[in-house]
Amino acid sequence: MRDELLGALSQYGSPALFVVAAVASVGLPLPVALLLIVTGSLIAQGVMDAGWAIGLACAGSVAGDLIGYAIGRWGGGRLLHRFSSLLGGEERLNRTQARVRRWGWAGVFFTRWLITPLGPWVNLASGVSLYPWGRFLLWDVLGECLSVVIYVTLGWVFSDSVMSLDSVLGELTWATVAFAAAVLLGWKLLSLFRRAT
Amino acid sequence: MPKTWQESLALGLALVVAISVLFVFGYRAVRHARYLRSEDQPIHAWMSVPFVAHTHHVPKEILFAAIGVEPREGDRRPLRTIARQQNRPVAAVIRDLENAIVREHGKAP
Repeated sequence: MRDELLGALSQYGSPALFVVAAVASVGLPLPVALLLIVTGSLIAQGVMDAGWAIGLACAGSVAGDLIGYAIGRWGGGRLLHRFSSLLGGEERLNRTQARVRRWGWAGVFFTRWLITPLGPWVNLASGVSLYPWGRFLLWDVLGECLSVVIYVTLGWVFSDSVMSLDSVLGELTWATVAFAAAVLLGWKLLSLFRRAT
Repeated sequence: MPKTWQESLALGLALVVAISVLFVFGYRAVRHARYLRSEDQPIHAWMSVPFVAHTHHVPKEILFAAIGVEPREGDRRPLRTIARQQNRPVAAVIRDLENAIVREHGKAP
């Protein structure tokens, strides 16, 4: 699958990037980071136009994110309320949703470019918790554009070693997820100790 | 109180796991980073001849000649497509390219 997608990018350019970015943002595990890195390399080789490539990659990612958000908002919400008793009751669910609405911008922004594996889940959660779509769109566009520019620039700088760069970034992504989890767990543990003393 | 202890233990264990995962992936990232500027980049079936020429710093005309293809401007066909059109395995096309790179560099690609 990966080879076919990269072959399509090499042959068809930005339109292929748009489609893959959109599908990946909905939640399908496609190697969109590698495609963006290779795009940077193709730009460095003079094969692809930087403006079109970055514009279409951003547009595809945002379109996919909005589909995920819509699924959560109009599909997941109803399902969640039907099974709210299994999730601690309606009141607890409402409290959680209020928390997502308050801090949702950080979740949306940082999962676009830093903790990317959580991105599709945050899209669904934002829709389910009725996070205002205008604000979702704002942070989504900012985060996705930053993500695309970072990956494409790295691919442009390391245009002759894209596969090695993809390996480094793949490992770093999971290291970042682990770091975020460690910070969160450490914070919770500290709060627990403070409450107990 | 026992509930707090159980909760603390579970959180502590989860924290140890998260830090371990952080170190494992961090170490692997550093290990891969050492190959970033290496000339030994692998050739894949999705790559086009100009792409391989760029990653290995070899003129594309030499690589096109090595696999018996007339160089054309804008020929971005993946190696897999070229192999299919030549009725031979893609591994053979990649081997020919590697040999041409070896000859050009005077060392293994």
